[in-house]
Amino acid sequence: MSGNDKLEEIRRRRKEWQEKTLGQALERLGISESPNRFYTPLDLDRHDFLEKVGFPGEYPFTSGIYPANITFQMMAEGSAAVVRGGDYGGYGTPEDTRDYYEYMASRGRFGGPNIAFDLPTQCGYDSDDPNARGEVGRTGVAIDTLRDFEVLYEAFVGDNDLDKIASAFTINAPANIIIAMYVALAEKRGIPSNRLRGTPQNDILKELVARGTYIFPPRPSMRMTRDTITYCTEHIPRMNWISVCGYHMREAGATATQVIAFTFANAIAYVQTGIDAGLDVDDFVPRLSFLVMGGSMDFFTEIARARAARRMWAGIMKERFSAKNPRSWIMREPTGGANIGRFNLTSQRPLNNLTRSVIGGVMSSLSGGPPYGGGPYDEPLGLGHSLEALQLQMDAIRIMECECKLGHVLDPFAGSYFVESLTDQVEEEAWREIEKIDAMGGAVAAIETGYMQREIAKIAYRYQREIESGERIIVGINRFVGENELEVTTGRLMEHPYDPKKRADAEEKQIRNLAQVKGERDNR
Amino acid sequence: MAEKRRIRVLMAKPGLDGHDRGAKVLSLGLRDEGMEVIYTGLRQTPEKIAQAAIQEDVDVVGLSCLSGAHRYLFPEVVAQLKARGADDVLIIGGGSIPAEDIAFLKEKGVSAIFGPGTFIREVASYIRENVKSK
Repeated sequence: MSGNDKLEEIRRRRKEWQEKTLGQALERLGISESPNRFYTPLDLDRHDFLEKVGFPGEYPFTSGIYPANITFQMMAEGSAAVVRGGDYGGYGTPEDTRDYYEYMASRGRFGGPNIAFDLPTQCGYDSDDPNARGEVGRTGVAIDTLRDFEVLYEAFVGDNDLDKIASAFTINAPANIIIAMYVALAEKRGIPSNRLRGTPQNDILKELVARGTYIFPPRPSMRMTRDTITYCTEHIPRMNWISVCGYHMREAGATATQVIAFTFANAIAYVQTGIDAGLDVDDFVPRLSFLVMGGSMDFFTEIARARAARRMWAGIMKERFSAKNPRSWIMREPTGGANIGRFNLTSQRPLNNLTRSVIGGVMSSLSGGPPYGGGPYDEPLGLGHSLEALQLQMDAIRIMECECKLGHVLDPFAGSYFVESLTDQVEEEAWREIEKIDAMGGAVAAIETGYMQREIAKIAYRYQREIESGERIIVGINRFVGENELEVTTGRLMEHPYDPKKRADAEEKQIRNLAQVKGERDNR
Repeated sequence: MAEKRRIRVLMAKPGLDGHDRGAKVLSLGLRDEGMEVIYTGLRQTPEKIAQAAIQEDVDVVGLSCLSGAHRYLFPEVVAQLKARGADDVLIIGGGSIPAEDIAFLKEKGVSAIFGPGTFIREVASYIRENVKSK
């Protein structure tokens, strides 16, 4: 039989199945419509494996950006040739964060820091500014001057000196200043800037759309981004000059297709900025990285979203920007797969978040990444996680990888009639949105007119309405909350090592630190 | 009978936190519940919020903060309103507020805290029941 004849045969059999087998079952159940769907080759007409999927680590990267994924175990044992920033953390004064990093290293944490900064630092205020009142040292560490950086990095010397680790700086508007501090610190330690590795987040456009730690309007901000691109490309070639984020837009409400479209529209604007500055696309795009796009609990959509995004970015770089270097085509992101955003976690029955997080890990693994899911279960209970929650999160990853053997097959849904057709559908919708933004004049224009912000707020409101009307079910929030349900909570046996007293005292101490620097410096 | 005045709400983001999903969703929700809502936008000082509340003659001030700075910022808004003689304004809050801070904030004059998972209609009926009539 030819391929067409086979399809015809399937079509005939499907009709028969719908009428007889399924029809009878529905009648027995007393319902008119099936609650399930079943996919067949008819849903995946003209699917071309090499064009749509390809081999892992090869164009169009649908099945993964690397030919072999390193395992969590390999990273933990230090047996994989990979150097990355460690867990996100930091609080209080630089002294507090240094001590915290040292304590965590003594508990087996490895690698360089992924520095969490407080909001005054992220918004460009000194700790003694009236606008900083109440915020110093809260969401992260306060960094006012180079002195603070020197103190913080006392936790990274010897085998963990700046030329041996990678640092991640979760900061955007003042990213250039932080990079400058890192280079200055390295200089003081006699380490040339071309030996430095790291990733500043530096994605100002999504701050303007969703997270709010911007300082300047979009266009002047983009001039600062241009300077990061040109400086890093020339002087710090191993610095990932940006981590383009979908995550925060997703947390603010964006849908799966919106998050792909807005993230890539922003990334396209950054790439164009580098080209306009006179750089060759293959000189700087290999150092453009992404942060996961976050995600909902909608299992298959998120898997399709991760697969579609990798394929689309490869297409954008190869076709739209004519990049030649395969490294420019890959959507580099540290966790590389579907993931669930923290907005899915609930403060009601918080242990359910562990379940949600594990499902996120399964999604991530089935979409071609490692089994990293959502956050520790106690994330919604306040800033800082308990050590138990961190342990459980870590164990969940270990169980998924070592016991369930997730990650042993790359992109296991490749060829699935359902997931492939869903991937195509998500991709098509995302392209339409990118075209819309292109027609507006690109991401910067779409942000200036408030388009992205408005669209995201609209979806966030719709989501809330759906929860309140019961159309969208969140377990323990709007369903299964009857009087016989148990409001399972948890005692935190061990608090997070952030010392609450130190955090409370940080503002006063840091203002003293700053006054001392201001008093002693030569102000030249 | 004169038409009943609609309840006026100032939704505000004190401090530097930029997470405004909750503030925006609640602003839209209270609007659809028939209230007049003014949203301040990000990065407001307690002084500015108090000034806006008085200029707009609002009945309710809603504060949202997810950065952990609520222990300073919320009571400061209460104090700034009091200092301007506006002690009839109902003040409510939301965001990432640990359970152990709620009693402290209530003591300082914040009437209620609505955490994640709250329904808009709960906030709306709380406001209707507790707003001081003008």
